[in-house]
Amino acid sequence: MTAALPSGFLDELRRLGDDRISVDPADLATYGRDWTKVYAPAPAAVAWPRSTDEVAAILRACDAAGVRVVPSGGRTGLAGGAVARDGELVLSLERMRRIDPVDVVGATVRVQAGAITAEVHERCAAHGLTWPVDFASKGSSQIGGNIATNAGGVKVIRYGLTRQWVLGLQVVLIDGTVLELGGALEKNNTGVDLRQLFIGSEGTLGVITEATLKLAPRPRRLDVMVFAVDGLAGVLRLFRDVRHSELTLAAFEFFTQRSLDRLLRHRALRSPFDQPSDAYVLVEVEDAEREDVEAWVASVFERDLAIDGVLAQSATQAAELWQLREGISESLSATGMPHKNDIALPVAALEAFCAELDAVFAARYPGWEICLFGHIGDGNLHVNWMKPDDMSKDEFLARVHDADRDMFELVKTHRGSVSAEHGIGLLKREWLGYSRSPDEIAMMRAIKAALDPRGLLNPGKVLG
Amino acid sequence: MKILVPLKRVPDPELKTKIKDGAIDLSGASWVVNPFDEYAVETALRLLENGDAGTREGGEVVVVTIGPSEAAQQVRSALAMGADRAIRVDAEDKAIDALTVVAVLQAIVAEEKPDLILMGKQAVDGDANQVGQMLAGKLGLPQATFAASIELAEDKASVLVGREVDAGVEYKRIPLPGLVTVDLRIVSPTAVKNHVTPDAFAYGDGPRYASLKGIMAAKKKPLADKTLADYGVTASPVIAEKGVELPPARPPGQKVDDIPTLVQKLVEEAKAL
Repeated sequence: MTAALPSGFLDELRRLGDDRISVDPADLATYGRDWTKVYAPAPAAVAWPRSTDEVAAILRACDAAGVRVVPSGGRTGLAGGAVARDGELVLSLERMRRIDPVDVVGATVRVQAGAITAEVHERCAAHGLTWPVDFASKGSSQIGGNIATNAGGVKVIRYGLTRQWVLGLQVVLIDGTVLELGGALEKNNTGVDLRQLFIGSEGTLGVITEATLKLAPRPRRLDVMVFAVDGLAGVLRLFRDVRHSELTLAAFEFFTQRSLDRLLRHRALRSPFDQPSDAYVLVEVEDAEREDVEAWVASVFERDLAIDGVLAQSATQAAELWQLREGISESLSATGMPHKNDIALPVAALEAFCAELDAVFAARYPGWEICLFGHIGDGNLHVNWMKPDDMSKDEFLARVHDADRDMFELVKTHRGSVSAEHGIGLLKREWLGYSRSPDEIAMMRAIKAALDPRGLLNPGKVLG
Repeated sequence: MKILVPLKRVPDPELKTKIKDGAIDLSGASWVVNPFDEYAVETALRLLENGDAGTREGGEVVVVTIGPSEAAQQVRSALAMGADRAIRVDAEDKAIDALTVVAVLQAIVAEEKPDLILMGKQAVDGDANQVGQMLAGKLGLPQATFAASIELAEDKASVLVGREVDAGVEYKRIPLPGLVTVDLRIVSPTAVKNHVTPDAFAYGDGPRYASLKGIMAAKKKPLADKTLADYGVTASPVIAEKGVELPPARPPGQKVDDIPTLVQKLVEEAKAL
């Protein structure tokens, strides 16, 4: 069911330029979906503004005509936040990809929302700096989307979330008002920080058009190791140990043998170990002397904290080892039908939670393959259930809903989050109440009503 | 059976090369074992072990490098993979050329008397592809270059080497002692046969990782520090580097409005038609 756009609406937008608008079915199918792939895309049109003024003009026109808008970046999200499935206008920022010269003294860079994350990294690297938000989809994702979803990734344990690396934001409201929130200032204690309101709001409050990013010195060297350990308990023992060592931890990622099996079945990669183990950990340390790394590794084996391990001897090997972790998500989809969840728990509760989850699955969903991996150092687990081969897709989708509820009950008991870094979007709306209180949700609704009273911006996302 | 593997350190080919004042700027470089030499180490280990059982079946792998003290790190990587001992001959990278390297290796071969010399077909920094051939020539040893597969005869008196040539695969049997330089495909899963590892056994693709236990063990393996003088060689390179520059930047792409303009540009600007 697709609502038609009011007559004359597209003609008005075309005045900005013919190449700004498309209603080509191929474009609609591409720009109406993200990586969730469970929703059928059905937007009415796609717009590609080339400046903040054009974004404002488009939003004003939408506001006047009552047209709903889905702001759109690299569409690599996994919660359906960028999905347009009901006659909306997709507002793609991809042609606004200017990256200003890096301010090497202030360690900042101003970029437009459509700049590709990896391109920003590359530009900053030339000056010995980096924007330390890093994840597997960085080659497609865009800065605007990173900010709108407060993206996490593999360096959160060292650098925190996107939220901590945005100094200034330019946001356009649905009525066309352009806000400049903050600038290149590290310190700006002048009342409620509105900038943070838009970070992580998933395009429901305004459209992010530009940002001033805070940069960090780029590590001079990174050492990457992979350890085979004994179960989740082994993972956590090693984590505690490295946390208390002298080493600066840049990443601490974990994956199970089942996840690795799927990866090796799909890709021409090899396991670094002869003997399989039930759990593996990827450890990356920053700017450490080789002797210090080796001394720690020696002590790990002396104290039986790991069964086996490898240390990358070159950048090529480091990249190969990272693929063992970063390639998993794609391989799960290529070798079967995963149902993905992205939860967070207090690190101290992880072991109890996983034991309880195993018990629930053994009792109620026997035979389901659970592939676990994630950024365990910050309590974030990616929980993937694979559809059993002999179960129909419909039956699986019906049953995962029950399984979700069972798991989120456990998440709630342990005061975890139903969405650690993927956001709420469409996919997790129903479960928002398992992590946020009714009072909090009412407050979110009040803010939404104040900024977008007619609910035109990214309709149906987060709050429904 | 003793296998000698000469290896060279090179700047990590994954990282971008910087040029400064007409030379490659190596100030912040990260160094790795030349990939083809790493394949030679892997080949040597596969020749001497039972890959299926994961056990070493005797023999000795000796690695040798010619380079500054920091090059010990790359030699340690080879020891961590499983080589048994190492020799480092002290020299600055700039002070040596292929002939100097060959002279040193010649002396080491005379001393070590290996059954087989295994090395990369070339180093990925200078891409000279000279040392293997010159060394075999100077030593008067049989050679098989660009090995994509190798099979050690059961009596260990010869190796059968497969080389990928334009028309297919050429097989050469050379008696030992001899010299083999290896190409990329030597580290594919079944490229190395030794009549010990079961024929059906497949290795992982690529050289093995340095296991952390291997790295610990490597610290205790012998590494002899030598000088050029120990082998009666003086560094007098006959090849000097005159300058290095990056290829000119490509002009940016153009968009044209229609096919006649495209054809016109192809004729007049690109001179492609």
